[in-house]
Amino acid sequence: MIEAKEVALTYGDGTKALKNVNLTVQPGELVYITGHSGSGKTSLLKLLMGIEAPTAGKLTVLGQRMRKGNDRKLRKLRRKIGPVFQEFKLIERRTALENVMVGMRILGIPPRRMKQEAAEALKKVGLEHRLHTPVEHLSWGEAQRVAIARAVVRKPVLLIADEPTGNLDHDNALNILDILTSFRDEKTAVIITTHATHLIEGQAATYIRVKEGEITIERRGEA
Amino acid sequence: MKTFFYNLGYFILEAFRTIRFHPLSNIFSFLGTGFILFLFGLVLMGWSIGDGLVGALQSEAQVSAYFTDQVGEAGARKIIDEMRALDGVQEARYVTAGEAYGKNRELLGNEAEILRLFDKNPFEAFVEIKIDLNKMDQVLSQVSGMRGIEYVRDNRDILEKLKGIVDTLKLLGGLVAAAVGITTLVLISHMIRQGIYHNREQINTLRLLGAPNSFIALPFVMAGMILTLLGGGLAAGLIIVMMEQGYSGINEYIMFLPLPPAQELCRLAVSAILGISAVLGLMGSLFGVSSIRKEG
Repeated sequence: MIEAKEVALTYGDGTKALKNVNLTVQPGELVYITGHSGSGKTSLLKLLMGIEAPTAGKLTVLGQRMRKGNDRKLRKLRRKIGPVFQEFKLIERRTALENVMVGMRILGIPPRRMKQEAAEALKKVGLEHRLHTPVEHLSWGEAQRVAIARAVVRKPVLLIADEPTGNLDHDNALNILDILTSFRDEKTAVIITTHATHLIEGQAATYIRVKEGEITIERRGEA
Repeated sequence: MKTFFYNLGYFILEAFRTIRFHPLSNIFSFLGTGFILFLFGLVLMGWSIGDGLVGALQSEAQVSAYFTDQVGEAGARKIIDEMRALDGVQEARYVTAGEAYGKNRELLGNEAEILRLFDKNPFEAFVEIKIDLNKMDQVLSQVSGMRGIEYVRDNRDILEKLKGIVDTLKLLGGLVAAAVGITTLVLISHMIRQGIYHNREQINTLRLLGAPNSFIALPFVMAGMILTLLGGGLAAGLIIVMMEQGYSGINEYIMFLPLPPAQELCRLAVSAILGISAVLGLMGSLFGVSSIRKEG
């Protein structure tokens, strides 16, 4: 599903965000990426979503070699990924339902099925009472759940969430992690970045620790 | 294609949202486009009237040929038969001296009293020849060279001046049409670029979700087309009102000009405005959305 061999990412200003990353992720795997702010977690996710291209090494995601100037193929790849962005990236002045549906529209899903499945996805994250609420009127936690619903409704083979527990209290953070990990199955791998390691300890998962651009991998239990 | 049809309602809704979220600049774009297209409609009508006028004058273009003294009526009729056979002669008609007197009396109006001073009819019989203006030189030289023809009087100067005026009008019309086209393209593409700039976050999100450029661009293209067509509608409305209020008045003032029927002229202007607004709207929008690549 994901294969990285000696991958590095150096930004235009010379900042070395990632160095010598070697990594494989299998279908159905649960992966936590941890590390302090600025350690390179988000840079790693940017590589996986094709927002940045590796400056060295070879990275393949869902069979697609990630490199610059591959726009068309990259967009096709992104349709198979369910991203939950750190700042959500919800479309303002649209309702929660419209935001969830927009991700499905790109896939060419028939309107009636789209509306039904989007409503179900919102129900699954506990927002059935907020379907027609404009997203700017939602709380932080609710907006995050809309972003999760938008990501999962497309039945992605790779669900990627960037710092979904940030700015949430302990209970809400656990709740969000539960929701995200519940979408993992034999086909779908879930990758979550977080700096709140106390919330994920003891789980059967692959733990990738990022420190100053270098990673260490630990597999606990049956991830 | 499937994605397009499933999302047609969404694209239209998004297009109206794009317009609604930035009302002031879009109102100005709409008004600006409307007035520019109105101007285009006016020029087009002027062009059409001028063209019709020249056409009418051309169809009425005629020269008069006068006989030498030796030619009697029988000889004149023989010459006229020869004239009819010439290439470029549409019609040749014998005008008797009596008929020529009547015509001139009519032309002189109140001044016709002067004709009473003559003991006998001062006018001669002649031949009225309707010609094809494009073959004017050829016909004139052939008719002048015919035996029995003393001289030929033509209104070439007037016709050539008129033709020059209409050619200038056509050139001006072309320039105005080009100006209308360029201005509308700039207005619409600027409006689209502004919309893209204001929605850059949304565009970026759609990209990250894997949306192709066509999916992102369509609402903006539609917004541009809607605004230009609305501008075209405004221009067409103004033309209709103007024609209803003012055209009959113009007709009364310049009765000597053969103006085309108001309905025909109005239909021409309205269909041209709507057609050109659709084309310009599409082109302007496509120019505008070309910036999506950069914004992404």
